[in-house]
Amino acid sequence: MTKLILIALFIFVLISLSCKEELPLNKDLTKKSYNLINQEGEDVIFPDIIKGQITVMGFIYTHCPDICPMTTHNMYLTQKKLKEDEIDDVKFVALSFDPDRDSPEVLKKFAEIRELDFNSWTLLTGERTTVHELLKRFDVKAIKTDESVDEEGNSEYSMMHTDRISLIDENGRLRKNYKGSTINIEELVKDIKALKD
Amino acid sequence: MNILLAILFVLFPSDDNIKIKDAWMRPSSEKMATALYFVIENKSETADTLFQVDSDLAERVEIHETYSEGEMMGMRKVDIIVIEGQSSFELKPGAHHIMVMKLKKNINDGDKGEFVLHFKRAGEIKITATAKKPK
Repeated sequence: MTKLILIALFIFVLISLSCKEELPLNKDLTKKSYNLINQEGEDVIFPDIIKGQITVMGFIYTHCPDICPMTTHNMYLTQKKLKEDEIDDVKFVALSFDPDRDSPEVLKKFAEIRELDFNSWTLLTGERTTVHELLKRFDVKAIKTDESVDEEGNSEYSMMHTDRISLIDENGRLRKNYKGSTINIEELVKDIKALKD
Repeated sequence: MNILLAILFVLFPSDDNIKIKDAWMRPSSEKMATALYFVIENKSETADTLFQVDSDLAERVEIHETYSEGEMMGMRKVDIIVIEGQSSFELKPGAHHIMVMKLKKNINDGDKGEFVLHFKRAGEIKITATAKKPK
C-alpha cells in the first residue's frame, strides 16, 4: 500500500514539474493599473482590458519593417490556428514601445492593413512614462538607435528592443515569454490550450 | 579592340550573370516603412556587389540587416552586400533586407512595386515585388 502511495506521489510530482516547465512564470500583473490609449483613441486601463481572458501580448513599434511585423504576423497566425481549433475567446494585445510616433491613428492604420480583427485585438499606446513603466513590468527593453533629424525637422530613429510575445492567463498572471519574431506557434497554441484545461 | 569591348562592357554591362528571384514585400501603410526581400543568384565566377536600391515607392530606400544581442534585436544600415561567384544570397525576414522608408502610398496585399538594384558589375537590374503576407 505504501508503495502504491509513493508511486502515485512520484507521478504527481512529475506532472507538476512538467506543467511548471511548460508555463514557467507566475507573475501577477493585476497589482498595478496603467492608463493607456487604444487604437480608437479611447482611454483604457491595463490590465482591466484583459480581465478574465487568456491574452497573447506582443511588443512592437510600427516604424519597424522587419522584426515587429514578424511578431504581429505570428500573433495573427496564432489566432488563425486557434480559430481552426474553434477557440475564439483569446485576447490579442500589441503594446507600442514607441509612443512618441505611435499615435492611436498610426496604430489603427498598422492594424487595418494587416487585417487585424478589433473584436479580439487591441493596440495600445499612451504617455511615455506609463508605457515605460508597463514595459518594465514585462522586462521589455527598447532603446532608440541611429537617431537623426530629417529635412522637415522630424526625429528619425530605429529601435533596438526585446523580441517578445507574452502569454497571460485569465487571472492576469504572466505565464510565459517567447521570442516574438521566431516563436513556435504550435507551442504557443499548446500552452493556451493547457491554460484552458 | 579589347579596349573598345572593355569600354562597352562598362557602359552597357550585361546582367545575365545576376538573377533576382522571389521578390516580395510586406503590406504597409503610407508614411511608414516596409521591407523588401529577394534572392540574388550570381552565376558568374566573379563576386558582385549590391550597393544601392532605388524606388519611386518611397522617399528612402536602404540596405539593412537585422541583428540580435541576447534577447534584444535591432536593425542597422549596411553599405553593401557581396554575392560571391557561383553562389546565391537571400534577403529574408530577420536577416538582410531592403528597408523601404516613408512610403508614398499604402501597400496592400497583392500590390506590386518596382525597384532598381545597382550592382558594381551587373549594373542596374529592375525588379517587381509583390506585397504579401508570409504564410
